[in-house]
Amino acid sequence: MEKQTGYKEAFEELQQIVADMEEGEIGVDELSEKVKRAAELIRICKEKLYHTESDVQKILNDLEEEKSKTNE
Amino acid sequence: MDERKIFTLGDVARSIRKTLSERYRSAYWIKAELNKLNHYKYSGHCYPDLVEKEAGKITAQMRATLWKEDYHAINRRFLDVLKEPLKDGIKILFLARISFDAVYGLSLRIIDIDPAFTLGDLEQEKQACIEKLTKEGIFDANKHLEIPLLPQRIAVISVETSKGYADFVKMIDHSPNKYRFHHHLFPSLLQGDQAVDSIIHQLRKIIKLKQHFDVVVIVRGGGGDIGLSCYNNYTLAREVALSPLPVLTGIGHATNETVVEMVAYANEITPTKLAESLIQRFHQFAQTLASLENTLVSGSMQKLQHSKEYFNHQVHMFLTHSRGIFFRHRSHLRELGLHLTRYTGFLIKNAREYMLGQQMEFIKKQAFGFFKVERDNLSYQQKYMQLKSMAIIKKASEDVNAIDRIARQLHPANVLKRGYSITRQKGKSLMSFKEVKTDHFIETTLFDGVIISKVLNTETKKQ
Repeated sequence: MEKQTGYKEAFEELQQIVADMEEGEIGVDELSEKVKRAAELIRICKEKLYHTESDVQKILNDLEEEKSKTNE
Repeated sequence: MDERKIFTLGDVARSIRKTLSERYRSAYWIKAELNKLNHYKYSGHCYPDLVEKEAGKITAQMRATLWKEDYHAINRRFLDVLKEPLKDGIKILFLARISFDAVYGLSLRIIDIDPAFTLGDLEQEKQACIEKLTKEGIFDANKHLEIPLLPQRIAVISVETSKGYADFVKMIDHSPNKYRFHHHLFPSLLQGDQAVDSIIHQLRKIIKLKQHFDVVVIVRGGGGDIGLSCYNNYTLAREVALSPLPVLTGIGHATNETVVEMVAYANEITPTKLAESLIQRFHQFAQTLASLENTLVSGSMQKLQHSKEYFNHQVHMFLTHSRGIFFRHRSHLRELGLHLTRYTGFLIKNAREYMLGQQMEFIKKQAFGFFKVERDNLSYQQKYMQLKSMAIIKKASEDVNAIDRIARQLHPANVLKRGYSITRQKGKSLMSFKEVKTDHFIETTLFDGVIISKVLNTETKKQ
């Protein structure tokens, strides 16, 4: 769940940075900092696209738990 | 003794049968609900249980018979028209004869069933279901959910061995851009009447695990178009509509859209298309990301370039302005200098003229004074000189007179009178005898005349 909001927020923040830049609200002084941040945000988003770990095991555990509960 | 007329059961049966057959000669179109079809696989015959209900209560109930051959013919037409087999719980319009059997009693022998009537009824039921969901305000509930940007964790309700499931899994596991999905199968029946409970059961299970999933998909395919009326079931449609996770359907059929598909967050025609739509979301995200990245890069470059240009422009402006200021000041200074020079010259000239004037005045005054003194002095001198000169002149004239007398006595004529003579050679007075050579002519002037003589000899005066 945290990861999900992570990439979503990252994406939104990235869009904001780009929008700010397009509207000329980022000065040269901040530019390097913002670009560095944007690169990190892009990395987070790409991570989500291509490398998310599946939590199959966790789901199976939860399913087992569910089963034993209903059997009781 | 017994006067009572006694009938055998057979008599009664025969009598009823006779009466009924006389009364109900032809076949009749009757509508009823097919409560139970009661199809016996072994014999192939059906013994349907027909009912009529009013406000949920049975108000009429009758048994019927549907012989093997009739059943097959009717069922084929049902499958053809309704995409549903003849089954329990549908309303039918059937052609039947009323028959009475001594053993089995009264029953309706079904000869034909009109599938169009059932179709209309099912359609009506479907509309009623839509209306009910709309009235309850939940028809669009699932559509109003927010689907994650990347629906990555997928709970799949399907049949493991079905083609639809295989297609779906193949697509998302081998997406062309290597996007990562995670899916988990919740096996369920997907067609026929039991599908309703089966799907609901799995859906509830998924909802309990909803934190692990982004979406629920229901995929089916390869099973033909038969038995899909379960997706018009109110209970199932309601369950889908109220699911806290977005439900995506890919049920794969050619007939009209079912209510479940309508209330689902999104519906695609086939499992493959559904998988593609999920991949498309990833693709769109990736593209947006790439475009943001591009904008970021080009924007930064542009920003830097602009800043550079702006800076250069500023520098240029600074230089231009400062040069301008410099030149302006310089020419101003030059002007001032020129002005100063001219003015100074003018001042100097003025001053000089003034000074000269002053000097002249002074000199004039001085000179004037000096001249006056001198003039006075001179006039005094003059007077003095006059007086003095008069005296001098007087004395001089006395002297002159004396001298004149002497002079007169010394005049050559007077001298000559006293016996002196003057000897000249060629007009020049001779002072020495050496000037005269022998045979030269000399002229001797005397008081009363001139003697011209030829020199015979000269000699030195003997002392």
